[in-house]
Amino acid sequence: MPEASLTAEQRQRYARHLALAEIGPAGQRRLLRSSVLIVGVGALGSPAALYLAAAGVGAIGLVDHDYVRLSNLQRQVIHSTAGLNRSKVDGAARTVGALNPEVKVDAIEATVDEHNAMELLQRYDVIVDGTDTFHARYLLSDAAYLLRKPLVHGSIFRIEGQVTVFVPGRGCYRCLYPEPPPAGAIEESEQVGVLAPLPGIIGTIQAAETIKQITRTGDPLVNRVLLHDTMAMTFREVRYRRNPACPTCGDRPTVHSLADYRAVVGAEEGRA
Amino acid sequence: MTADRHHRQRILAEVGEAGQQRLERASVAIVGLGGLGSPVALYLAAAGVGRLGLIDDQQVELSNLNRQILFEDCDVGRPKVEAAAGRLLILDSGLRLDARKETVGASNVEAIVAEYDLVVDATDSFETKFLLNDAAVLLRKPLVHGAVLRWGGQATTVLPDGPCLRCLFREPPDPADIETCEEAGIIGAASGVVGSVQAEEALKVILNVGTPLSGRIFHHDGLRGETRITTFPRDSDCPVCSPRARITDLSRYDEQVSPRGHVRS
Repeated sequence: MPEASLTAEQRQRYARHLALAEIGPAGQRRLLRSSVLIVGVGALGSPAALYLAAAGVGAIGLVDHDYVRLSNLQRQVIHSTAGLNRSKVDGAARTVGALNPEVKVDAIEATVDEHNAMELLQRYDVIVDGTDTFHARYLLSDAAYLLRKPLVHGSIFRIEGQVTVFVPGRGCYRCLYPEPPPAGAIEESEQVGVLAPLPGIIGTIQAAETIKQITRTGDPLVNRVLLHDTMAMTFREVRYRRNPACPTCGDRPTVHSLADYRAVVGAEEGRA
Repeated sequence: MTADRHHRQRILAEVGEAGQQRLERASVAIVGLGGLGSPVALYLAAAGVGRLGLIDDQQVELSNLNRQILFEDCDVGRPKVEAAAGRLLILDSGLRLDARKETVGASNVEAIVAEYDLVVDATDSFETKFLLNDAAVLLRKPLVHGAVLRWGGQATTVLPDGPCLRCLFREPPDPADIETCEEAGIIGAASGVVGSVQAEEALKVILNVGTPLSGRIFHHDGLRGETRITTFPRDSDCPVCSPRARITDLSRYDEQVSPRGHVRS
């Protein structure tokens, strides 16, 4: 396809992409036409949103119900002091718009739950999980599978982080973690420490994996989880496969809609 | 406690109250405010490093914005150091920033490296990378090196008495053999990963915790989704950090090293 369909400004802005064999003009147009939903605009969502906006993803949906607190600014670099005590999605939408005015941003101030997840996710090509609860991860995984959308998962805990991509039919979050952690298990929260740049690494890899999904290039982190330990400075890869007995994506699925989701994650219900 | 900006680091065993104070007293020179310097500056500022030297001689260009997330569309044409300082101050108005619109060369490298506790090499020039390495070794300052191209890059940490960049590569490559970022292209997320690793390394060295990438080099290939860390020893014949060093004095650097970074015989 000819490069002519990019404007002169786009050819300058995305010049470094146009020089890449794996992107080029066709890949850039694909990025410009694509849409990504980022669920959670915190530590992981900050770098993911910044790098996807910089890359020229056409439409970015930002979902978060929370407001910006001072203790977020230690790592959530999309936010600013001016946005304190205000909606995270509004603050993030402003930063993204200032970086790349071409991007259409949907600022969705909401909690993703079993009632709105299908409707929200179905509007986008790729879903980025930047949430910080086990509950939300199972929910997004089920919803993405039911809609047959790729889901780019990332999570951090203290000094460790992980990232992987769930492509429908090749495994989901339940294949990786069949059992939710026991009630009372510690998850990422205000009571757990974190070093500022750790989510930068994980969230940025999530952005790279999203770009690879959109441009259909490279080897995606499918069927493998990349595990990072910041203190030891090590990266390790663990392989996993689709679980034939998975209630969501297995051979005899029992989750056919998010209405079935509560029963399946019942063990978690006391924790949310 | 949540009213505290750095609460999440204070409660981390590896940082704690003492570590956070250490970060606040620390100073870091970030040489180069591009693809690598963007995440380095944002994350070191967010983490609470008390003083940052922002060193770059360029202006923001539209073609920077596919990866240099420190800048905004309206910054095009402004000096990078000025735009970066403005962006970092909206994140934390209490930061101490030295915006230095300078080209780092043999004449000023000593003053820059001597003034800060640690140097982050976020440049895109091999000559400058070797100059910073030599200055850091001679002045016994820790240096966090990073480089990126296309979908990936590398990072390593040079500590006083540890292996240095010349132990690994000896001399900068011939300019005819290297592709620039302009020719080869680059994806923003590649510089984001390497720059964030550099920020982690800088924090660990300041805090004196964990295992830094000293004598180890991190390679990232975002296209393959692969990350490798390989080790390298100190070279007993290294031109700058061995007992047989030929580069011995920054004031005579021009006599000892060619403008391209090669050791003069």
